[in-house]
Amino acid sequence: MTRLVSVLRAAVFILIALVLCGIIFEFAGYSAPSMFQSIAEGAFLRPGALLQSLRWALPLFITAVGVAVSFRCGYFNIGAQGQFYVGAISATFVATWLNGAPAIILVPLSFLAGIAGGALWALWPGLLRLRSGTDEVITTLMGNFIAGLLLVYVTTGPLKDPSGSGQQSSSRPLAAGYRISDSLGISPVIIGIALVVGVGMWLLVNRTAFGVLASLAGRNPTMVRWQGAKVWQLGLSSFLISGGLAGLSGVIEVFGPNGRLVGGFLPTHGFTAILIALVANLSVVGIGIVSLFFGGLASAALFLPIMAGLPAAAIDIVNAAIALFITAKSGFVDRLLRFGTRPS
Amino acid sequence: MTDVPTPALECRDVTVTYGSVTALSGVGVRFEPGRIHAVVGQNGAGKTTFARVVAGLVRPQSGEVLVGGKPIHVGHVKEARAAGVELVHQSFALPPSFTVSEAMEFGADTNRPIFTRGQLARRWEAHLASLDVVVNPRRRIRDLPVETQQGVEIARALVTDARVLILDEPTAVLSPTGAEKLFERVRMLKARGVTVILILHKIREVLAVADTVTVLRGGKLVAAGVPVPEIDSARLAEMIIGTGTVQALDPTDAKVLAGADYAPAAPAHVAQQGPPVLELGHVSTLGDAEGPALNDVSLRIRPGEIVGIAGVEGNGQRTLVRAIAGLVDVTGGDVVLDGVPVGGASLGERRARGLRIIPFERNSEGLSLSSSLWENWASRQLLRLPLFRFIQPARIRRESDVALKAWDVRYSNAGQKAGSLSGGNAQKVILAREIDGDARLIIAAQPTRGLDIGATAFVWKSLRAARDQGCAILLISSDLDELFDISDRIAVMLSGSIAGEFQPPYDVGRVGAAMTEAHSR
Repeated sequence: MTRLVSVLRAAVFILIALVLCGIIFEFAGYSAPSMFQSIAEGAFLRPGALLQSLRWALPLFITAVGVAVSFRCGYFNIGAQGQFYVGAISATFVATWLNGAPAIILVPLSFLAGIAGGALWALWPGLLRLRSGTDEVITTLMGNFIAGLLLVYVTTGPLKDPSGSGQQSSSRPLAAGYRISDSLGISPVIIGIALVVGVGMWLLVNRTAFGVLASLAGRNPTMVRWQGAKVWQLGLSSFLISGGLAGLSGVIEVFGPNGRLVGGFLPTHGFTAILIALVANLSVVGIGIVSLFFGGLASAALFLPIMAGLPAAAIDIVNAAIALFITAKSGFVDRLLRFGTRPS
Repeated sequence: MTDVPTPALECRDVTVTYGSVTALSGVGVRFEPGRIHAVVGQNGAGKTTFARVVAGLVRPQSGEVLVGGKPIHVGHVKEARAAGVELVHQSFALPPSFTVSEAMEFGADTNRPIFTRGQLARRWEAHLASLDVVVNPRRRIRDLPVETQQGVEIARALVTDARVLILDEPTAVLSPTGAEKLFERVRMLKARGVTVILILHKIREVLAVADTVTVLRGGKLVAAGVPVPEIDSARLAEMIIGTGTVQALDPTDAKVLAGADYAPAAPAHVAQQGPPVLELGHVSTLGDAEGPALNDVSLRIRPGEIVGIAGVEGNGQRTLVRAIAGLVDVTGGDVVLDGVPVGGASLGERRARGLRIIPFERNSEGLSLSSSLWENWASRQLLRLPLFRFIQPARIRRESDVALKAWDVRYSNAGQKAGSLSGGNAQKVILAREIDGDARLIIAAQPTRGLDIGATAFVWKSLRAARDQGCAILLISSDLDELFDISDRIAVMLSGSIAGEFQPPYDVGRVGAAMTEAHSR
C-alpha cells in the first residue's frame, strides 16, 4: 500500500510537472503536443533511441543509487557532481601514469582509483559533519565547485592533451584497448557494472544490518543514538558509499563514451541523480525505472535541436519543473492519494 | 441546590473526534460561578481536549460552549478570551527568553508600542504582588523555578479580567509542597470570585481543593459537577478507573493509580544480596542545554532492587541517565557496571554489559515513529551484528511478531509504523526490546508518563517481574505515588545532587521537603 502510494505520488508529480511544461511551451510559441511528441521520439520512439537513453541512464542510475544510500541514512550529500568529477580525474591520472601497461592491470586500477577519489571527495564533508556537526549540505555543495575548478585545472594543466584543438580542453585520448565501450557508450561491461551495483546496493539496503540501521538513523538519529549505535561507522560508510558510486560513474564516462577526460563534461549529472533518487523515493528498484525516464530526457535533449529543430532547453524546463514539484511540500498530493483515510 | 445561578461556563453535548478517535463524546456539564471545579480522569480520558475546547483551541464537531449564559463561537481563542476564559497549559507556554514583565505585557495585549523595562516592571509589580507571586519582574522566564513559572503563568492568565481560569494538570510539575501552595493560590482566586477549573488526575488533590468534581472516562462523562462532600475516594476511584478494570488490578495499585492515597507501607520485597550492579561514585558532569550538571552523585543499586529517583523535573535526572549511558562527559567520579568501570565505554559497549534504557522521550529517544515496528524492535540486536552482515528481514519480522505478542502489543502487522500505536502500546514495544534475559540494569525514565491506568499497571508489573528475576532497576519519575508504590528505596535529586535517601515506609512530608529544600531557602 505505501509502496503503491509512493509510486502513484511520483507519477502524479511528473504529470503535473509535464502539464506545467506544456503551458510554458505554448507561451514560448511552441506547440506543446508536438514538443512532447518530439521529446518522446528522441527519448524512446525513434530507432536506436532506447539504446541512447540507456547510455545516459546507466551512469545516472549508479550515481543516484549512491545518493539514495546517504539520503536514507539522513545525510544530505548533494555533492554527487563533485564526487563524479574527482572520480573521473583520479582514474585519468592513474591511466596516464600507467599508460602502456596491460589493460587487465590498468583498467581495474583506474576504476579503483576513481571509486577511491569519489569516496575521498565525500569523506571530508562526512568527517566534518560527524566530528563537528558541519552541515553537509553546505560542504558538499561547495565541494562541487572546487571539483569543477579542479577539472578545469587538470584538463588545461597536468593532463592537457597538447595536440587538442577543440574548444574544450581535455586529456589525451585513452588507447582503444583500455576503453570499455565505443562512443555510443553502451557495452556489456557497462551494463554489467550497473547490474552489479544495482543488485549489490539492493542487498545492502534491504538485506543487511546496515540497511535497517541506516533507515532508522535517517528517520530518527536520536533513537539510534540511544540504542548505542556506532554513529560514526554508520555515517562514514554512507558518505563513502555514495561518493564511491558517483566516482565510479565518472570513471565510466572517461573509459566509456568519452574515451578521455573532457573539461566541464556533464555539468548537471549529479543534480539529475539527486532528482532521480528523490523521485524514486530512495528505492533502488524505483531508481532503476526513473533513471530510464531521465536517461530518455537526456537523449532527447540531443535529439531536439538536431533532428526536430527545437530548443534543447525544453528538457531543462522539464527537469526543473519536476524538481520543483518533487521538492515542494507533498502534503496536497499525499492527501489526494490517501483517499480520506485517517492520518497517523 | 434551590436557586440555580447562571453557570459561569457551560458545555452542551460537546463531541470532538480526531480522525477515527473520539476524544470527547456528548459531554455536557455546567460550572457554577465562584467555585473550584475539578475535572478528573486517567490519561486519554479527554481532559485536555475538554480544556482546549473550552478555551477555544479546539473546534468540536458538535456542541455548544456558553460563558456566563451566552454562547460563544467554538474554536475561537480570541472570542473565548474576550468572554473571560483563560487556559494555563500543562506544558507552560510563556516564551522562555522573555522577562516576567515582558510576558505579562505580551499576555495583556495592550498595544502600547514604546516602553522601557523599568516601566514594564513597575506596571506589573502590583499585579504579581496581588496574586502573591513573589518574583523579580525583570528576571527571565527560563531562569525561574518551576513553581514560580507556574505562578507567572497564572498571573499572565489573569491580566485580562478573567472570569474562568482553567489549569491543565497544574500539579504534574510540582512537588507536594508546591501543590499545596498552588491550592492556596487557587482558593484565593475563588475568594476573588474567579471560577477555577482544575484538570487533575489524583483523587487526593480533588478532595483537598475542589468544590465539585467532574469525571471523564474514555471521552465520556461519568459524573458531572458532583459536590465533593457527597463523594468518597473509593467511589471516585471506581468512576475514574471503571468498575471492570478496578477488579483486574491489585488493590494497592488501584488506589495508587487513581491517586487516592500514597502507598501504605513497604512493598513486601527483600532485595537480593550481592555486589551492586550499578555503582556511581562521586559522579560529576558539566551542565549543558539538556540539563544541569551532576554534582558528586553517589548511588548503588543491587540486583533485585528498584531504586526510585524522585525530584521536581529539571533537577538533573536527565543528566543522570545520560551519565550512566555514556552520552555526557563525566568530569569526575566513576560509573561502575557489574564491577567493571565503564568510564570510557560507549553506550553500545555498556548495553553489551546489560544496560537497558527506557528513555524519557518515548517518541524521539525510544522509537523511530516513521519506521516499522519490527525495525524498532530489532534495532538493539542488529546493532550487535557487524554493520555489513547479511540479515533475513522476514525471519526478524517473525521473531518480532512473537516478542511483541508476548508483550501484549496490539497491532495489525509488524510492518506498520510505530507512530500508529497508542502511547501504551508504543511503550510496550520499548519494554519488549529493552527487557530481555541479558538485562542487568534497567533505567526506566518516566516509563508511565501519558499512559492510561491499564498500561501503567502493565509497566509496573513488568518492572517488578524484571526485578524479581534479579535485574537492578533505576526508576525515575516525577510521580511520587508511582515511586512510593514500587521502589525499594528512593533517592531525591535536587539541583544535580542527591538531596536525601529514604527507606520505606516513605514519609511524603520528608520526601517532599527534600525535593524543594533549595527553593524554600
